[in-house]
Amino acid sequence: MPIARFSPFELLLLQSHSQVDTATLLLQAWILAHRDNVSESQRYRRLAQEAASCGHGHDPGPLMHIAGQRDMQSIQLAAEVLRRDCTAEHGFAVMHKAIAVATDDGSLSLANHYILRFLADLLNIAPATLETLFQELAGAPLGPPQDPSQDAYWRKHNPAHYRRQAEREAEQARAQAEQAEARQKAEQQRQQEQEREQARAQRERQQHEHRRQQERQRQQERQHSHASTPPPDRTLRALAVLGLAREASRSEIRLAYRRMAQLHHPDRVFSQSERQVALASQRFQRIKKAYDYLMQQH
Amino acid sequence: MRDLYQRLSLSPDATPQDIRRAVEACPNRALQQDAEAVLTVNEHRANYDTLHTTVSDIGQLRARLGLGHGAHWQGSVANDFAYPPDDGVGQHEALIGRVGHAAAHYNRWQRLRGPWLVTVAIVAAVCAGFAAGLALRLRLGTG
Repeated sequence: MPIARFSPFELLLLQSHSQVDTATLLLQAWILAHRDNVSESQRYRRLAQEAASCGHGHDPGPLMHIAGQRDMQSIQLAAEVLRRDCTAEHGFAVMHKAIAVATDDGSLSLANHYILRFLADLLNIAPATLETLFQELAGAPLGPPQDPSQDAYWRKHNPAHYRRQAEREAEQARAQAEQAEARQKAEQQRQQEQEREQARAQRERQQHEHRRQQERQRQQERQHSHASTPPPDRTLRALAVLGLAREASRSEIRLAYRRMAQLHHPDRVFSQSERQVALASQRFQRIKKAYDYLMQQH
Repeated sequence: MRDLYQRLSLSPDATPQDIRRAVEACPNRALQQDAEAVLTVNEHRANYDTLHTTVSDIGQLRARLGLGHGAHWQGSVANDFAYPPDDGVGQHEALIGRVGHAAAHYNRWQRLRGPWLVTVAIVAAVCAGFAAGLALRLRLGTG
């Protein structure tokens, strides 16, 4: 039976004198790979410094390479080794090293915010402890990470883009205003012509109207002799929304409403996307309106 | 940080046209504004995508290590980047299993005198080659 080949990190781990140190170094390399504004050689030198402090003759080259490749299986393996073999005090030391590597230049990148918190959860370090440790090492409090999925973040970090956008919009508005002015003039001319024509048409219509009224009176008399008038259009539409036929009783309407409301309630799709929830709530509103209207009518 | 792609029912490698369409169809005003500011501007999107990749990697890691409900994993990140744990064994366990397998293979190879067998096979192959060459030459010579 063939065995899958051993990955570079697995080989390093198997040959290492101290698996915990190798795993710690890989996680430090991972943090270094996610630091902003640091060159490749600076990263390498920093990791070499950390490797020398472990004192097992680790070569930082392959570790840096693995961490730069987004090799999550190796990272997972390192995390498992740390969790298995680390005592509480040693875990504290690992966290200490991780924070030091992440905040050498005083700033913490957004990605490292999440990586440090992941390590803290992995090593069972409480939020308060992490904050104290971070404050001691970095000299600044560990705030919540900023959120680049929000408009406000980009307004703060890329104001140039918004200035350009505002300029573009102002130009568009000016062009639109000019167009609108030209259109208004043409409109006025057309209106004057229309008014003349309308006056003529109205005279003709009055004559027609007179004749039609007479006819309608005759029709109404005929209708009254038949049965009562059919239900108005809106009631039919409301019944259709609830999936009912023309002659539905009050209890049938209530039953249909309950069934439809359960089927289309927005809470049913709560776990799906916001768009789905919005669509469901639109459907639900329509059903509820139809029901309210029918209850008033009956 | 929220997963805007998931909230708009998009895949992270959606084309700019798809994104534009989804943003315009979005019924939530606040989300629409944020998605327009982040995803429809190339520079912002590239930046957001880098962080999105890292955070979703961390989400996967947490799911696999059973850290999906950690004290440091709260709010919208934990909501949007929570994945179901896949049923693979841990990497460390898998590594130990493979090392064990490799050792067993090696032992069997040694027990069967694998190196000797290989040497004998090579010598036999060389002799056969010589014989075939000799026969061919003889036939050519007689013919």
